[in-house]
Amino acid sequence: MKKKFEIELKRLKREPGLDEHERILLARSLSATPQERWDAHENFLRSLGLFEHWKRKEFGFK
Amino acid sequence: MSAAILQGVPATTLDTDLWVDLPARQYVRVLAVVQKLGGAILARTVVALKDDSLVNFLYRIDGIGSFGEEFELAKEVSLGGCRVRVLPIERIIASKRHVGRPKDIAHLPLLEQVLALLSKRGGGSRTAKRGGG
Repeated sequence: MKKKFEIELKRLKREPGLDEHERILLARSLSATPQERWDAHENFLRSLGLFEHWKRKEFGFK
Repeated sequence: MSAAILQGVPATTLDTDLWVDLPARQYVRVLAVVQKLGGAILARTVVALKDDSLVNFLYRIDGIGSFGEEFELAKEVSLGGCRVRVLPIERIIASKRHVGRPKDIAHLPLLEQVLALLSKRGGGSRTAKRGGG
């Protein structure tokens, strides 16, 4: 995955209008497989305590 | 946005929309499956699965073609050991643009940005597009 990320990052360096943060974010996402993207998405929600719907209610989400 | 995430859009969502090819009046059939799998019914179209992830069942999606038409155009991805069909990013954009709620409009710049990037490289997000059938 790291190599694909680096290739993607290099490719995105040629894209105008993207700052460094956007380039890294997009390179990580575009170089991943669908499964890796989904796992990252779920891990992100878990890291914020937002994965379970009842926990989200505690934060005020409907 | 789940379909967009699977195709490389760096976003997140709190629920997954699943388009079901059934008339909306038959929602009970879908809920029966959810219950059988240990999920909890929160509303007529919203359920919490056994792992507490939220799923919203859709019986129609405005702004795009019929289920059958979109199914043929769908991209196939591998997820959890299954082959899953997802709406291509351009179809997600068409639907969100048509629906036009603030939360849909808010997603458009990011969706369009990723679509433009993927188009430049020949549409090659790491998903497999089926050749129909």
